[in-house]
Amino acid sequence: MKYFIQLIAISALLFSCQKVIDVDLNSTNPKTVIEANYTAEDSTVRVKITLTSNYFDNNPSPVIDGATVIVTDATGTPQTLNPLGNGEYELSSYVPVFNSTYTLTTTISGTTYTAKSTLPSPTPLKPINYEYVSGFFGNNGGYVCYLNYNDPVDTTNFFIAVLSENGGERGQVNEITLTDDRLTDGNSISRPLFGPNNLFQLGDTIEIELRAIDENIFNYYVELQSIAGGNGGQSAAPANPESNWDNDALGYFNAYSNSRESVIIL
Amino acid sequence: MKFILTILLVFFSLLTYSQDFTISGSVTDATNGEDLFGAVIKVKELGNTGTNSNSYGFYSLTLPQGDYTLIYRSTGFETQEKKIHLFSDTIIDVELNIPKDVQQIGEVIVSAEKENDNITSSGMNVTRFDPKSIETIPVLFGEKDIMKTLQLTPGVKTAGEGNSGFFVRGGGADQNLILLDEAPVYNASHLLGFFSVFNSDAIKDVALYKSGIPAEYGGRASSVVDVKMREGNNKKFGASGGLGLISSRLTIEAPIVKDKGSFIISGRRSYADLFLKLQKDEALKDTKLFFYDLNVKANYKITKKDRIFLSGYFGRDKFELSDKFGFSWGNATGTLRWNHIINDKLFSNTTVIRSTFDYEFSVGSGDEAFGIRSSIKDWNIKQDFTYYRNKNNTIKFGINAIHHTFKPGSLTGSNESFNEIILHTRYALELGAYIQNEMKIGTRFNIMYGLRYSGFNYMGRGTDYQFDENGNEIGKQYYSSWESIKYYQGLEPRLSASYILTEKNSIKISYGRNFQYLHQLSNATSSSPTDNWVPSSKNVKPQIADQIAAGYYHNFKDNMYRLSTEIYYKHLSNQIDYRNGAALILNDQVEGELVFGKGRAYGLEVLIEKNKGKFTGWISYTLSRSLRTFDEINNGKEFSARQDRIHDIAIVLMYRVSKSIALSGTWIYYTGDAVTFPSGKYELNGTYIPYYTERNGYRMPDYHRMDLGFTWYMKERKKFEHNLNISIYNVYARENAFSITFEEDENDPTKTVAVQTTLFKLIPSITYNFKLK
Repeated sequence: MKYFIQLIAISALLFSCQKVIDVDLNSTNPKTVIEANYTAEDSTVRVKITLTSNYFDNNPSPVIDGATVIVTDATGTPQTLNPLGNGEYELSSYVPVFNSTYTLTTTISGTTYTAKSTLPSPTPLKPINYEYVSGFFGNNGGYVCYLNYNDPVDTTNFFIAVLSENGGERGQVNEITLTDDRLTDGNSISRPLFGPNNLFQLGDTIEIELRAIDENIFNYYVELQSIAGGNGGQSAAPANPESNWDNDALGYFNAYSNSRESVIIL
Repeated sequence: MKFILTILLVFFSLLTYSQDFTISGSVTDATNGEDLFGAVIKVKELGNTGTNSNSYGFYSLTLPQGDYTLIYRSTGFETQEKKIHLFSDTIIDVELNIPKDVQQIGEVIVSAEKENDNITSSGMNVTRFDPKSIETIPVLFGEKDIMKTLQLTPGVKTAGEGNSGFFVRGGGADQNLILLDEAPVYNASHLLGFFSVFNSDAIKDVALYKSGIPAEYGGRASSVVDVKMREGNNKKFGASGGLGLISSRLTIEAPIVKDKGSFIISGRRSYADLFLKLQKDEALKDTKLFFYDLNVKANYKITKKDRIFLSGYFGRDKFELSDKFGFSWGNATGTLRWNHIINDKLFSNTTVIRSTFDYEFSVGSGDEAFGIRSSIKDWNIKQDFTYYRNKNNTIKFGINAIHHTFKPGSLTGSNESFNEIILHTRYALELGAYIQNEMKIGTRFNIMYGLRYSGFNYMGRGTDYQFDENGNEIGKQYYSSWESIKYYQGLEPRLSASYILTEKNSIKISYGRNFQYLHQLSNATSSSPTDNWVPSSKNVKPQIADQIAAGYYHNFKDNMYRLSTEIYYKHLSNQIDYRNGAALILNDQVEGELVFGKGRAYGLEVLIEKNKGKFTGWISYTLSRSLRTFDEINNGKEFSARQDRIHDIAIVLMYRVSKSIALSGTWIYYTGDAVTFPSGKYELNGTYIPYYTERNGYRMPDYHRMDLGFTWYMKERKKFEHNLNISIYNVYARENAFSITFEEDENDPTKTVAVQTTLFKLIPSITYNFKLK
């Protein structure tokens, strides 16, 4: 009887079922995808250039080697990135100047793509606290970790929070937390990092990284999250996120600074 | 102004002098005293001459002196004839009886002998239902739902499972004016769209206008759904109710003073959460998930010429996960009406309406708590007149003013991470004035022509923002209370005409223009109570729909079968879509997220109905397109609207096997919605991201489903009747796609797959209904 009641009460609204189906999708001409990050923490610019492929093509994405990638700082001084092969390019020991704008130029067989990103200064994290929550709907209980920091007053700030559990980073598009201060400017922020796997147990080591990013990148990630990992089905009009690359390239150039905190749950 | 004068002249040049007398009165149901709306009053000797009772049962007919036979007729009632010698103004009140043989055989719908009113009426065909006539149609979870039944008729497309929204002739889901006793209902859904807010027990009549909309209606671009509540039995006490899987209903009605006034109270509540209380799990115990609604109405005849009505609707949905999360929303409407018969030719209706919708989120408790609230509230005053000029002309005119208060959102709470945010309250005044004449010319030609003036004053107190072409704010201006920020106005001509070819054939045409000044913002696939309504402003222009339609109607086999075929073309201006990643909630500059374009829709609709006998039902087929063009979307190329379903079929059959058993079945098929799928993918941060090339360039799989219903009318007592209804939703368990998502394979992240989610496979349900007589 108990199961019968449960069935009516809960599954009445959750009769849904899922299955993998075949869909006939068009094939498209490959487009250039440039994923570029400048991390102030290790003073390194990292770029990966790939091409789009057909949706059900299960080979790794095609890479582009032989491109010329140049980063230019606010004073106009250019520096060329070193090709590493496999579509990757890198420039290390590139000293950051906070609150200045960097320009990245990529030339691939005569076509030039340009993107600009402003490197914000880092916002320091305060120590992480955690709290036990009981489980519900059949899930086990566990600890929720809180992201704590003082939001800088009177500036518009945009952040990506990345969580790591026992050294394993959850940096994928669907795992990161995006936050801005539209509703919270200048406040002392204490925010639980909820998520399907964000309940932790005794003994876990948790690290939180808070990346300060510029507004374009924030908007890019908001749009990216709305289509990644199956989310595209929720939107009436999923579309490609608006990239800071010109010339119709996909991807982004993100210059960011960060701060970290960690805690062991005891 | 010259134009308006000309129009007025056209109306009143029709005034003529003759030795005419007026017959007026009311048409009511003999069993419970309810007014009969749309009853036909015909003059036997004069062929095409006649009138219809209005929604208060009132009719008026002016004829030259003479001897006549008046025929009173309404679907489901015995026809009455009255012979009169007309030599002075006369009042005739008529009570129609339900035929005895119906009570005995128990046929569901009985039509009077000569049912060709669909052929001879002047307006384009109106889709009308009386909830009683469709009570055996199988429905999801056994919840009778008049809105779902409307979606089985041509030109009306469901927004899909888990969605009570609907699209009429290619228009948007916010383009339907849904009225409950004249009060606009802003969100007609319960439980996130699985049920509509209309409790069938409290409803007398539903009419859907999809073209040739009469000039008395205004404010939405595509259609009008006019829902009227019952008045309650003014002869004796009655109670009825039902027990279902999801909810239970109870209705009580009684006279206030016999034959003078009555009231009805009808309540409904779902109880999934009551089962949760039985759970051991603490969190489950504290979970709330329910909706309720309450319909109340009272009416009283103060004098022979004055009658007042007070009606109200209160409904609410609540979803709470102990103290962690809460979400609730609801509508409330109230209507106070005064019917006054000024003289036997002039009928007046004065109405004051309050209409509100709000939603509320709350998260956390104590220091952590914060909440988001939003609402829309209206005060609405209407004055309508019907002037029964003579046997060939019925003139309606009136005025209307609505004061809207929009609270787009506020964020408050004790959680100190959040700043209190209260978006600017916005105000608007919506005005309307109309005049319309329904005219008979000779015995074959009927014409209804009218004009509506509408105005919309978006006004202070408030801040108006200006945006550049990319949606970035470039300026703002503050306006004080009642100061006009932007005034829009328009003339809405409405015209429909019919020509009776023979007793069994007619053709009709119509043209109508409709302005819509309120817009609902929604950029998700499923509708949500958080889809805010916003007023027209400097940035958002009113939506305008122009529609022409033509129809051919044919009855055959002694009016046993009716065929109607209609074609239409609709042009939509100032349609709204959204920028990529638009933030629609708690955004004071939400208008910067919008883009504007145009649309067009056209189609062919065929309906074959059988309304008589043991075997009744209809087959509906729609062939249609709905397209949109926006400069910012799809590189400016025209694309399919989501509801651009090419084929749409519904078959509804009801068979009364015997007095105690009724069977029913429905089958639905439609082309899948237009949808945006990725045409490629790329890698970012080690994740595959879908790559999109065009808007709505793909199709969901075709949808089809069969439902069956079985109703057992158990032994009837003198004072009591009851029945048991069993319905099976999706009998052959078709896995219809609710959504298709593109994601990495759970087992192998290097692969990407398409995953289809199906909401409802075969779902049986059982409902017990009773009635005390």
